[in-house]
Amino acid sequence: MSSQKKIAILFGSETGNAQDFATILSHKLQRLHFSHTLSSFSEYDPKDILSCKYLFLFCSTTGQGELPKNASDGKFWSFLKKKKLPANFLSHVNVTLFGLGDSSYPKFNYAIRKLHQRIVVQLGAKEVFDRLEADEQSMAGSNKGTGAGVESVYFEYEKRILQFLKEKFPNRKLKNGEVIERDEIDPEIYLAPYSYLTLADEEDDPNPAASDNSNIKFEGDKSMKYGKVIKNERITDPEHFQDVRQFIFKNNDESVNDIYYPGDTAAIYSYNTDLAVEQFLENQSHWLEVADKPLKFTNGIPSHLRDGGIVKPLTIRNLLKYHCDIMSIPRTSFFMKMWTFATDVTRMERGEEQLNDQRDKLKEFAYDEDMQELYDYCNRPRRSILEVLDDFLSVRLPWKYMLDYLPIIKPRYYSISSGPCNPQIELTVAIVKYRTILRKIRKGVCSDFIAHLNTNDQVRYKIISNNLIRKSYHGKPMILVSPGVGIAPLMSVVKANVSNDIHFFFGCRFKDKDYLYQDILEKWNSENKIMLHPVFSRDRENSPDTKYVQDVLWKLGQEMTDLIVKDNALMLLCGASGKMPVQVRLTVIEMLKKWGNFADDDAARKYLKEMERDDRYLQETW
Amino acid sequence: MSTPKITLLLIHPAVTTTPELVEDFKNNAPKRNWKVVNQFLINKINDGSIKLKNNEYDIIHYMTPEARDSILFPKKLIPILNSALKDNGLLYGLSDTYKIDALINGFEIKNNDAAADLEAYHWVKKPDTGAKKTVAIPLKSNPTTAAASSGAKKLPSFKKASASSSSEVKKPLPTFKKPSSSTTTTTNTKKKCVCKVHHTAEDNDDDLDDDEESGNSDVFSDSNKAQFFDDLDDEESVEEEDLIEERDNNGNITMIICGKSQTKKKKACKDCSCGIKEEEEEEIDNIRSQQDNVVKFTEDELTEIDFTIDGKKIGGCGSCSLGDAFRCTGCPYLGLPAFKPGEAINLTSISDDL
Repeated sequence: MSSQKKIAILFGSETGNAQDFATILSHKLQRLHFSHTLSSFSEYDPKDILSCKYLFLFCSTTGQGELPKNASDGKFWSFLKKKKLPANFLSHVNVTLFGLGDSSYPKFNYAIRKLHQRIVVQLGAKEVFDRLEADEQSMAGSNKGTGAGVESVYFEYEKRILQFLKEKFPNRKLKNGEVIERDEIDPEIYLAPYSYLTLADEEDDPNPAASDNSNIKFEGDKSMKYGKVIKNERITDPEHFQDVRQFIFKNNDESVNDIYYPGDTAAIYSYNTDLAVEQFLENQSHWLEVADKPLKFTNGIPSHLRDGGIVKPLTIRNLLKYHCDIMSIPRTSFFMKMWTFATDVTRMERGEEQLNDQRDKLKEFAYDEDMQELYDYCNRPRRSILEVLDDFLSVRLPWKYMLDYLPIIKPRYYSISSGPCNPQIELTVAIVKYRTILRKIRKGVCSDFIAHLNTNDQVRYKIISNNLIRKSYHGKPMILVSPGVGIAPLMSVVKANVSNDIHFFFGCRFKDKDYLYQDILEKWNSENKIMLHPVFSRDRENSPDTKYVQDVLWKLGQEMTDLIVKDNALMLLCGASGKMPVQVRLTVIEMLKKWGNFADDDAARKYLKEMERDDRYLQETW
Repeated sequence: MSTPKITLLLIHPAVTTTPELVEDFKNNAPKRNWKVVNQFLINKINDGSIKLKNNEYDIIHYMTPEARDSILFPKKLIPILNSALKDNGLLYGLSDTYKIDALINGFEIKNNDAAADLEAYHWVKKPDTGAKKTVAIPLKSNPTTAAASSGAKKLPSFKKASASSSSEVKKPLPTFKKPSSSTTTTTNTKKKCVCKVHHTAEDNDDDLDDDEESGNSDVFSDSNKAQFFDDLDDEESVEEEDLIEERDNNGNITMIICGKSQTKKKKACKDCSCGIKEEEEEEIDNIRSQQDNVVKFTEDELTEIDFTIDGKKIGGCGSCSLGDAFRCTGCPYLGLPAFKPGEAINLTSISDDL
């Protein structure tokens, strides 16, 4: 998509937070008649930067301090990295930067720092104000430990941008050239997107069987792959609380060979159940009569729908099932867009008063900077959009804008555990289930989708390459560490036969319950393919003197430190984020001090930093 | 056996690496007739994110891996711990390093001779004689009353009043933080069956009359810059790793000073070990057992709620049926969908369980 807009809001987002903040800013700019582009980095046409004068950036950090996929993919970032660009290439651009990070990761907010270094320091863009870095970690979020939540950091960012723009452009020009004061559009008025849905005429769709759902297709994304399920088997004890699946699928097309290596992931595109779609349609019952009619877009397919391809036949029902994330937790931008559709007094037991209460409440969710009400109502109990709509019956949504106010289903990424390029792609999937105050058990949208797949069912997927292990470490000793389902990429490393000297530290709760891939690990151990060091945190009998992976690392401290310092071993740590990676890191620093001849903390830390810089200490946590 | 002593366990952050210490302490507590009711990280108290109630505890025990004579403890917390203790309450875990602070804050030191067991060393809160009572002087003249009274008219679960009271309220609230009055007026319009729509596509794409551009003496005009888009496929790129400078050398960042209240409920970390997770679990259990009281699943399909059971009617506040967004704190219907009073509703969606 090419545009000559002078203002651009670009985001790189992994979980959707950065995107949501970018969407909020976009919404506020629209209300002030600031025409602009809102896009991920990867969808931004590099040439558009020539006409861009005001660039507002949002970026989170992923993996080993990298930019998220929707920032690093595409042409824009790779263009900006070209060495031959001159030092004043972006001198015409005023830029602001907002980073979202998590300080439990060592490479905290590296992505925004990289963008800053390249865009401001090396290419000469003018920074309107010093960048902002938010921290997801501390309970309320923080900005360098000031205790300010992520949302307060964002609102400060927004305030500064709006102030800057309003001062610079107090007036606006109408299409007829008249200049008037820049007024704000009444918040009650809904801002229609550039392209939205209408009923297709007969001549638009010559195929009379448009509503025939027997042949669902996805068009517009050639990189999409289609496979069928080979195996979907629980590998934890039935008595154990957690259901972990060994999930194997292969490409429908036998002639296609998927290329992947250890550390690569599969993006799985899930969709909603027919039951959920039915409930949604019952809630918005005025949609029912058109639910299966063929539709078209007024101005082409919106860019945010391109990844994964768009469903054909294009109907409300299919869009709800395959694209609209109605089971997700609603974000601020959802309320910002939809609150004004709370108009239906006929469904209010208590008439006008209740309608006004509902409107006020939804508006509060949309505009309250504190976000605490919204957090308590939606995030804490993990309430879905569908459930919110069931609570707010005054909301009568227009279907033609559904792809604007409803979030779009995003793929979920799972580490591959099969050996390199094996046509049978194997994942290790923890099925996410938990309780909140809501009666209905909460489920992970994608893992629940996977849990219900049967042999020969279809999956839509992509292979994402991560280049985790540098070639130069092949043949070097490797120390692999993983509690729980973090084991997935490590299985792939062992199967890849890239080293004869692998120490495998696996941790779980009980030897008899959640010891994943026990048989094959023990077989490898007996064949000396790996040296296996299992540890069980709640199983004194089988793990008498150690509980966690870091305890075993410490126990074998001398040997492991020698491997790291003398033999240049690679260390790869996978699993859940939080304290585990922090503690393993601390343990390694202590090991380096005690057995590695490093004089003090600083020296040991410096060495570990160097390992990280060289991708010799890898942390793949989520 | 006498009533157990209400005990607060305070933890040095480093203790979280050895959760077994906490375990041991808790296991041994009953032997001393102590009942650990709260456990907090000391830094949470120190940064004010957790507030201790006055006269709450018989025992406060501070757990730290530091050696007895090298304990570093924030002095400002000593009076706070004193207030949290009941009269004659005991404080374990500090040392004579803070002797002076102990004495000026109304503690007496026990078992401090060298021969005594370290474990036995503690401070005792002397009952307040009333002779030297300090008077709390409000730091601010009363800017909160106005905010609080306007908050009072709000719906039950609004919490704005507390948020504004602790921040420095000199100016009126920021415009998007709506005072309740403004929203009611905006929504008072009678006829809103239809929602108005603004088509952004109709806006002028180029409405920025930026005249400052003319003064821009950039040596590279746009056309000059455009040349860099040709033939870039095999160009060399900078290494991303090189974009990260050594520690603290990536330019300045804007610092945000938080002006908000600290009353925010804390969210447990993923692998919480400080006790918040247990509190959350307990809250969920409480709310669910309350739900059990008001919800009766019919024998056959587990799909209906029976609101006809005696004493299980809607509360006097009248908000129970309106859904969680409008329910009071502690409402027995929390976590259940909105419903029509007196009507059995379809609960297919909520009948499944772990």
